[in-house]
Amino acid sequence: MGALEAKKIHVGYSQHLIIEDLSITIPAQKITTIIGPNGCGKSTLIKTLARILKTKAGTVYLDGKEIHNLDTREVARKMAVLPQTAQAPGGLTVFELVSYGRFPHRSSMGMLKAEDYDYIHWAIEVTGLGDLKDRSISALSGGQRQRVWIAVALAQGTDILVLDEPTTYLDLAHQLEILLLLERLNKAENRTIVMVLHDLNHASRFSDYLIAMKDGKVIKEGTPSDVMTCEVLREVFNIDAQLAPCPFSAHPICFSYQLCKDVEYVYR
Amino acid sequence: MEAQQQLQRVKETARPVIGLWIIGGGWVALLGACVLAVSLGAADIDFKTVWSAVFQFNPERQEHLIIWELRLPRVIGAALVGCCFAVSGSIMQGMTRNPLADSGLLGLNAGAAFLLAVCFAFFPGLSYAYVILFSFVGAALGATIVYGIGSWSKSGLTPIRLVLAGAAVSALLSALSEGIALHFDIGQDLAFWYAGGVSGTRWSHLQVITPWFIMAMIVAMILSRSITILSLGEEVAIGLGEKTGRVKLIGAVVVLVLAGAAVSVVGAVSFVGLIVPHLSRKLVGYDYRWIIPASAVLGAWLVVLADLAARLINPPYETPIGALIALLGVPFFLYMARKGGKLS
Amino acid sequence: MIYQTEGQLKKKRRFRTLVLLLFVGIIITFLFSLNVGYIRMHPREILLTLWGQGTYEQSLTLFQFRLPRMVIALLVGAGLSVSGTVLQGIVRNPLADPGIIGINSGAGLAVMLFLSFYAGTSNVPVLVLPFLAFIGAGGTAVLIYALSYKRHEGVHPIRIVLTGVAVAAGISSLMIVLTLRLDPDKYQFLATWLAGSIWGSNWKFVHALWPWLVLLTPYVYWKSSVLNVMNLGDETAIGLGTDLEKERRMLLAAATALAAASVSVSGGIGFIGLIAPHMTRRLIGDRHEYVIPIAALVGAILLLLADTIGRWIMQPSSIPAGIVVAVIGAPYFLYLLARIKD
Repeated sequence: MGALEAKKIHVGYSQHLIIEDLSITIPAQKITTIIGPNGCGKSTLIKTLARILKTKAGTVYLDGKEIHNLDTREVARKMAVLPQTAQAPGGLTVFELVSYGRFPHRSSMGMLKAEDYDYIHWAIEVTGLGDLKDRSISALSGGQRQRVWIAVALAQGTDILVLDEPTTYLDLAHQLEILLLLERLNKAENRTIVMVLHDLNHASRFSDYLIAMKDGKVIKEGTPSDVMTCEVLREVFNIDAQLAPCPFSAHPICFSYQLCKDVEYVYR
Repeated sequence: MEAQQQLQRVKETARPVIGLWIIGGGWVALLGACVLAVSLGAADIDFKTVWSAVFQFNPERQEHLIIWELRLPRVIGAALVGCCFAVSGSIMQGMTRNPLADSGLLGLNAGAAFLLAVCFAFFPGLSYAYVILFSFVGAALGATIVYGIGSWSKSGLTPIRLVLAGAAVSALLSALSEGIALHFDIGQDLAFWYAGGVSGTRWSHLQVITPWFIMAMIVAMILSRSITILSLGEEVAIGLGEKTGRVKLIGAVVVLVLAGAAVSVVGAVSFVGLIVPHLSRKLVGYDYRWIIPASAVLGAWLVVLADLAARLINPPYETPIGALIALLGVPFFLYMARKGGKLS
Repeated sequence: MIYQTEGQLKKKRRFRTLVLLLFVGIIITFLFSLNVGYIRMHPREILLTLWGQGTYEQSLTLFQFRLPRMVIALLVGAGLSVSGTVLQGIVRNPLADPGIIGINSGAGLAVMLFLSFYAGTSNVPVLVLPFLAFIGAGGTAVLIYALSYKRHEGVHPIRIVLTGVAVAAGISSLMIVLTLRLDPDKYQFLATWLAGSIWGSNWKFVHALWPWLVLLTPYVYWKSSVLNVMNLGDETAIGLGTDLEKERRMLLAAATALAAASVSVSGGIGFIGLIAPHMTRRLIGDRHEYVIPIAALVGAILLLLADTIGRWIMQPSSIPAGIVVAVIGAPYFLYLLARIKD
């Protein structure tokens, strides 16, 4: 059984459905990445899996239970979400912001307990923010800020992490740092990770399972070697890709590509 | 390239035939509305008497006196005020590409009213010819603060930001005026300006504002072509070889004169300058050579009719005209704001 | 394992110092304010009177006029400030303020409708006014919420403020139209009310107001962790397990009730709910556990100061506190407007 399952979900606005009749299973304790061109519905899918968007029809299951019927706080104890649009008020320190990750575990008024402090300090350490914990958020760089948000999600202490493009706006080194951190969390602690990535090579290198989407439909899902093929990339992205195994993970990566012939014609 | 296309679009959407109809027919209809407005009121007077009062004035007849001394200046005042607000609104909307621009919303009216309060407090009994100058300066004050804030702001002048700045500046200036009114005990005099109303208009007022009005309108018409180009965007306008700085400066002066003159007659009435230009743009297209005259006619119409309604709703009391127009303007404003403040 | 970081402890100390300082500030302002008014009194006379040894006239002035007015200023300031803090948290916009988003005018309309149907002004049942004001303000809040709600987009913060401005304009013009029906007596009453002059210099009004504050402020404080999480954006808030729509409605109701109760006694005072929370955030950061108590104190001291200045600056005529606040508050609002990004 998967950690998260979507069965025949329809998502979208009144007239315009973005996702129609889609079913998917996110394998437990694996890293799953959703890829696809702009506007293919991958962000919508991940938001629906994270119960931020409601379905028009169909159901999302978390551990076999309907997610929209569960108490939302209970869901938050099992699954942490890092949205693309997270913004922090500037007047918080790193420690304060990370401590908000303990929100689902506290009673409304409850002060932080010893266990909460353990989680917060662990999340700060593991994201390498130890020296910055009393720094104000407004004084951080983009990469540092993104790590703080990941620390918030980690402090939640959940088995499942859902991340919508965790590496956008980061430079190459910082992107890799984040992904290596996620990989470590998966390998060392068996956390289930679901994310959207734009970079195909990152997606292939770090994932156990890939989901390729186009126009609100899943075109292909499976291991990176199943999905990262010339045929799939041609169908999903309209590109003719040159593939080779990645020297670090042995998963296929794309080292260069051309627009497909028929597409090229349209552009000319 | 793009500029040429946009210009083309302006030309294509222009509807000079409708424009001619509105402007030509509009004047006739405006005349009709004026006659109606003159004859209706606390005492109804038939059209024939109105005719004879205008062309064969007989100072011994009371009806003639009412018409000549009270109604006629009032109605002409309403028409002028409507023109002023509407034209100033359309110039502002065109120059700033801000669909929510209106002299009331952007703090010009509150500024003019504030300086009028100052004027009443410190120079009581000043003749109207000088009072109106205070009004101009006040409008300039309001505009300077609002646009100053806008240009000082980090992310520039979005329409919504300007409206918020206008609301705050209006709150500030009205609070100051109220303070002055309370301290100098001139609340009664000022209430008239705030509630808005043309009932106090006399020939002497019209004599003072008419030259200003005519000058401003002539300049506005000369400027109208440049405003059309400016309304395509500052960069496009520069690309087309327009001296944008000069156009903006002259345009701003015209706006201040029009808004200031109107406020000095009617008080701080908002929304005329918002609604009318949108309506004209819908009717005659995007060319300001048509929008400006059409706005003038429609604005005059709106205010003359609103003033008539203000007299008829609850006689013998007068309903404040500003409130009436706001009841029209608020829903319109909400609609515009909901559309996200895009130029239609 | 060290539990609290150095920064946490420092902030906690800072919080305590601020609370202490603000209390001292309130006491000083209070004493100063007691001394201001039409009838001049020597500070020693004031102390004697407070001690119960003043003349009849002195104790009347002090206990029946000045004290209740000052207590009201403190309570109203605190109420508006807490309300503003909550509103800013809900709409995630530092520009939200009960006055700006039309709650004042809604309450004003309700009070006005009541007055126009109620005979006379001499014996207005003051305990009813907060309820009426709450209904008016609540109605306006719901209207604004509904008008700024777009399907699939929810409620955009800037749109709320903009809609609020427009609705406020509409309501005040409706009120102008309606004032024509009022007789001069009532009109006077209403006009002073609208200018925000803390008209109810009477213990009755204190009693009409304090239960609301005592009830609602702790509730809001209890919800501070929810407000904290809301501050992180809708998606994060849902992800962290808040029932966003429900919490938003409850907090909006609380903020409306606080503002309405305050405004029903003080009249239309804008900007306090804007300035006080913002100043507070600059002092102590964004954690609502700290922000709410400090904002209450800052609001209280600000309004008391404004009222004192209003009574003092242009003697013998006294300027309504609402005007003083607007003169200070509007430039501050403009400053904020220029500083924040969309």
